[in-house]
Amino acid sequence: MKLTGAEIIAECLLEQGVDTVFGYPGGAVLNIYDALYKYSDKIKHILTAHEQGASHAADGYARTTGKPGVVIATSGPGATNLVTGLATAYMDSIPMVAITGNVSTDLLSRDSFQEVDITGITLPITKHNFIVKDIADLANILRKAFRIATSGRKGPVLVDIPKDITAISYEYEHAPIRTYENVTSSKNYEFEAVAQAIKNAKRPMIYMGGGVLLSEATEQLIKFAEKIDCPVCSSVMGLGGFPASHKLFLGTLGMHGAYETGKTTANADLIIAIGARFSDRVAGDREKFGENATIIHMDIDKAEINKNVKSKFSLIGDLKDTLTTLTALCDSKSNPEWLKEISDWKAQFDKTPEYNSKDFAHAYHIIEAVQKLTTADDIIVTDVGQHQMWVSQKYKFEKPRTWCTSGGLGTMGYGMGAAIGAQTANPDKRVVLFTGDGSFHMNLNETVTLKSYNLPIMVVVMNNSVLGMVRQWQKLFYGHRFSQTDPHRATDFVELAKAFGIDGMRVHNDSEVESVLEKAFNLKKPVIVDCVISPDENVLPMIPPGKTVDDMITEME
Amino acid sequence: MIRKQIIGLFVRNYTGVLQRVTSLFTRRGFNIDSLTVSPTNTEGYSRITVRILGDDEQLSQFINQMMKLNDVKKVEVLPESSSVISELIFIKVKINSEDRNKILTAASSYHASVVDLGETSATFRASGLPSEIDELVSRLEPFGIMELVRTGAIALHSGDECMADGLDID
Repeated sequence: MKLTGAEIIAECLLEQGVDTVFGYPGGAVLNIYDALYKYSDKIKHILTAHEQGASHAADGYARTTGKPGVVIATSGPGATNLVTGLATAYMDSIPMVAITGNVSTDLLSRDSFQEVDITGITLPITKHNFIVKDIADLANILRKAFRIATSGRKGPVLVDIPKDITAISYEYEHAPIRTYENVTSSKNYEFEAVAQAIKNAKRPMIYMGGGVLLSEATEQLIKFAEKIDCPVCSSVMGLGGFPASHKLFLGTLGMHGAYETGKTTANADLIIAIGARFSDRVAGDREKFGENATIIHMDIDKAEINKNVKSKFSLIGDLKDTLTTLTALCDSKSNPEWLKEISDWKAQFDKTPEYNSKDFAHAYHIIEAVQKLTTADDIIVTDVGQHQMWVSQKYKFEKPRTWCTSGGLGTMGYGMGAAIGAQTANPDKRVVLFTGDGSFHMNLNETVTLKSYNLPIMVVVMNNSVLGMVRQWQKLFYGHRFSQTDPHRATDFVELAKAFGIDGMRVHNDSEVESVLEKAFNLKKPVIVDCVISPDENVLPMIPPGKTVDDMITEME
Repeated sequence: MIRKQIIGLFVRNYTGVLQRVTSLFTRRGFNIDSLTVSPTNTEGYSRITVRILGDDEQLSQFINQMMKLNDVKKVEVLPESSSVISELIFIKVKINSEDRNKILTAASSYHASVVDLGETSATFRASGLPSEIDELVSRLEPFGIMELVRTGAIALHSGDECMADGLDID
């Protein structure tokens, strides 16, 4: 049948099972929006305040469902506003398809109104991108975009479509989704060598990352870890990929990981990295990381092997398959002495915190209170900074796809958009956004979206009135010279909430934490909770950049 | 051990592919000595030949990173021992009556032929292994090189082996 380019786009989205798109209309996408009007019973469109919010929403949608997130923006500034969202998704390997309008093909490369070379701009921050210059290619390019975004190591793909292409009519024929993997898997002898190394190990540890979530290998990972009785540390990206309540789970490792995870890494004789990439936030000192250990690296992306830290063995392929094959080859073992050693390290810093400040609420107190209100299925989103690290340390994630955070790029302002995407995709779950006053100020415009769609997101602002993480670094490494981290803002987040037409509440100190959060949570409406915390509460422990657990900072003034 | 190696890339041929490949060099910090691109006998595909400076690990990173590009179908090392390799140079040298014979002798020992004569210069054309071209340049250096241009190396596997063998061309 003959359809316009815009209608072909809508049909291709339906082919891919897309039920929701995020975006913002504009001149170059008028035809696409006209088609979306026609298809509005099949494809739900969420309008954000800003294209950046839409890009993070598509990301939050993808992280919480596993399906690719779709974002639509107009040419020029609409397209450039997607850049941060695409880079965020790229760094965390999140499947996304961005569709941008562009000026008509006869106006391309003439510096026309609202024209930018968005494929050029996004080249280093997309897995691949396309510009459609012939309507005959449109449907296949869109299909390819989805395939690339969701296969192998996942990532964002951008398709730039000039306006005239969306207007022309062309023959369209429905095509079913083609799924095929071209990922190479390792050979039998390599698996056997790895199984032997595991057998020989006395002090093994698993270092898991976001790849476990992306390949949905949680079940396989639990079986594997249990069979070889191996403690599990996670990167910030991997949280939720292994139940926090499991006796083998130690929490996050790296810059703000617990003491015992640092000691475990330093003393392990075998480190099994699973869907992780040894980022500088985990392996601060690449040479010393796991220097007493044989390193096994399992990943779907061959280029990750030996990129940051050298491994003796590597297994390439989908983690679900890799873990299943490997588990079958491994003998059951138990490591009681090693686990005892680890629990002794843990005990050294185990103390029951006291939350009794009259001036401030404690960050951990707030997180614990939220944990009591939510279930294991509910979704936690963060922005970036101290609050993000506190949540990664304290919140117990039990299930995959309940955690959205910008791990690789560290995008302040990510949270509002991501929470919108998460809540839209999961209307039956509760979504809580932890943010800081710094991060929240970046994209609080998206509060309009919470109201418009009545998204019952609880926004918990950990308000220390300073740019806390940078300020903490200034304390540690820049002689307390607080350059531009104490902005003296006077924003009243409770009044702000009201101005946006939603509820606002305040937690003044520790005594109000439970009661106010409970009230806010039970509203089941969009709400901002302004929590006053101390500007001098730090994220500890901390391994300084480029250092190891031996240099760990455990106390600060 | 850091050394120069020649790598062939079999890539889709359309506007923008070169940018995708070269921007990855910059992003991943690869040190590229030379690069040549041309279409092939397979319609819709080009061949890029790069000479890269690095150790074995950097080389394997290079190959793995390149293979991640959607438009790159194959990446292969073309070792000097099992490949035919050549590079072309034009080199313009100052000529005076005193050095004339010395220059011609030096040039001819590298099979460089005169392709153009100016009032005070001669332009030679030579081809050979990049290392031979390097030697020619240093031999002519003392006489005064006015300008030169090199194509960068091109290479094919020796024998019947072809890079497109077994490729799934779409």
